[in-house]
Amino acid sequence: MTWRRPLLTTVLCVLALSPFAFSRQARPKADNAQMRTQGAKQNASEGEKRFRTNCGRCHNAPEEISPREARAVVRQMRVRAMLSAEDEKLILQYLAP
Amino acid sequence: MKYRWLLSVVLLFGCSVRVQAQENVPILSGGAGFFGAAQGGVHFYQPVLAPVLTVPLGEKWLVESRADLREFISRENGTSGPYQGKFFGTLEYLQLDYLANSHVTITAGRFLTPFGIFNERLSAIWIDKFQDPPVIAGIGTGRGYSDGFMLRGPLVATPGYQLNYAVYFSTLSTVNKFESQRGTGGRIGIFLPRTRLELGASYRRTLQGGGENFQGVDLSWAPYAAPVEIKSEWAHSDGGHGYWIQASYRLSHLTGRDSGLGRLEPVIRMQQFFRSKPVPDDFLPTGNLQRPEFGLNYYFPHEIRLNGSYARQYFSNTTDSNVWEFGITYRFLFPLWPGGSK
Repeated sequence: MTWRRPLLTTVLCVLALSPFAFSRQARPKADNAQMRTQGAKQNASEGEKRFRTNCGRCHNAPEEISPREARAVVRQMRVRAMLSAEDEKLILQYLAP
Repeated sequence: MKYRWLLSVVLLFGCSVRVQAQENVPILSGGAGFFGAAQGGVHFYQPVLAPVLTVPLGEKWLVESRADLREFISRENGTSGPYQGKFFGTLEYLQLDYLANSHVTITAGRFLTPFGIFNERLSAIWIDKFQDPPVIAGIGTGRGYSDGFMLRGPLVATPGYQLNYAVYFSTLSTVNKFESQRGTGGRIGIFLPRTRLELGASYRRTLQGGGENFQGVDLSWAPYAAPVEIKSEWAHSDGGHGYWIQASYRLSHLTGRDSGLGRLEPVIRMQQFFRSKPVPDDFLPTGNLQRPEFGLNYYFPHEIRLNGSYARQYFSNTTDSNVWEFGITYRFLFPLWPGGSK
């Protein structure tokens, strides 16, 4: 009988605090997802800028390019246009988000 | 039991290759075109196919190749007689690239000679805004390609400026269709990303025969404020020296890039060449030449471009002539094996 009351109190406390615990875990997850989306948008925007700066001064952007094709195209442009590894990464994120 | 183990390994290897294949899909791109020209009463036509094969291998390797396949169709006696065709096939590059780090790419095989800006960047038929290459395109590049190895990349890359370089060594080859000259050279350029202005200097020395030096300077400017592109090269060889300067202006700011008027791009080019002395097989005019040109490019949807141009050619060795040119190019790109869009 003596051990039932502390156990019941502990279970009730855990149940009472659990929404806070979950909400506290959930909020950073939402923030992380939001930050990742913002980061991806920023990278895509920076990638578009790098594309205009480097590729756009010699030729137009391809009208349609699938993500499957983009990797080979950007790799080739890295060699041809002497892009840095960072340029390659950002332009790839822009062409194949 | 050991067969089951072997089967597992094979299946695992197959899956890993498939995963890698999905990431690194080889592509076939390039351009197809049909060109026509009339100069001094002589008409000729050229259907052209320029396929580009690009095969990325893992994270560091790339195999790339471009060929130029064309039929040169003209009358048998210049201005009279039946039309006849002659086929020309050229392997312009077939190279293996190793991306050692952000600053160095090592290339081996046949590659476009890095001299000036035209040969490497603008010579593709779907990029070049005129049908003919500049008359000085042969200075420092010869046939346009070299067989050997090359180091290239951005030496310094900051938001304010980029310093890029390419150095190469080319071997002598007399194999039919794979001829190349023994030589060495390179190009160094400084690019200002904020203004899209680039200045470059090139040098080449042939290491056969008497040895010949080539020097070149190039400029490229594409301001952000307007859809204008200005490009220019000056080059010097023992046989002569010359320059070309080209300006294009796409009318996209008036009614939008995809509007009827916004797809039109007038372009002008002026070029001069001054012969110093005759040099056999130097791919240059045999005398002094001046050539002002005016052209119009129209960019249709689906990567189709129409172009037409007029040039007046003043040539010291023959009478002056008008040069009319027209062409249509189609730029294509597709993966080499089927799959989804992702």
